[in-house]
Amino acid sequence: MAAEAALREASVALIPEDELRAQLYHFLARFLASPPDKTGLESAAKMDGDDTELGKAFGVFANLASRTDVNKVGQEYQDLFIGVGRGELLPYGSYYLTGFLHEKPLAKLRDDMGRLGIEREPGVNEPEDHIAALMDMMAGLITGQFGTPAPLAEQKQFFDTHIASWASHFFADLEGAKSSVLYAALGTIGRHFMEIEETAFSMA
Amino acid sequence: MKQKCDRAIVERRSFLKLAGASAVAGGVALVSGGKSAEASTTADETGRLYKQTDHIKTYYELARF
Repeated sequence: MAAEAALREASVALIPEDELRAQLYHFLARFLASPPDKTGLESAAKMDGDDTELGKAFGVFANLASRTDVNKVGQEYQDLFIGVGRGELLPYGSYYLTGFLHEKPLAKLRDDMGRLGIEREPGVNEPEDHIAALMDMMAGLITGQFGTPAPLAEQKQFFDTHIASWASHFFADLEGAKSSVLYAALGTIGRHFMEIEETAFSMA
Repeated sequence: MKQKCDRAIVERRSFLKLAGASAVAGGVALVSGGKSAEASTTADETGRLYKQTDHIKTYYELARF
């Protein structure tokens, strides 16, 4: 609760573009960390995008959200990320970059997290290089959830090192995965947003 | 140097605006859980309903669902 209040306070000082970036990262993190509950799905169905590529992707996502239900999305999430033995996709940086879990990229991420003062919530066992965790960390760096908002250069470095090299591939895989329906649209949103971030960081 | 830096920031902001950092009207904060439950109830009531555009119709015709 205190963290939420701090988040709100911090976002007041953010320029609108950065606030939206943080919200987009939070949005992706939320749907990638677990399937939505009824309220989440109902809210998602009410989103409305404009005519940009990203806006259109949100329109598709909202439409699909209105046509599915919690059980179906739950099953979709299960098939994509959990499965029997393993899901269709393994959403970890280390896996995408080396073909194995728990490799060097994860160690490097842990180093950087230590430096930035970020740590896992107690009780979370998921490796830190899970896509949802990384999206959450970006949001936190932007809003200052881990202290003060990280300067753009620091955000860029984190993004370049831990996200840029693989997240677009992951989101494209999500778009094309056999089990994806609602999550295919989430993949499109993620892919467009990563492109926007890459271009925007290149201007900084 | 400072001037160059400022220009880059302005360019970056304009780019983000155009590229769709504002693509989603109000909805993302609501769905991302960044706001309290109270806020989401209010926003739900005023939340716009999805409008189907021609683009989306085409998407469905082409897509596999």
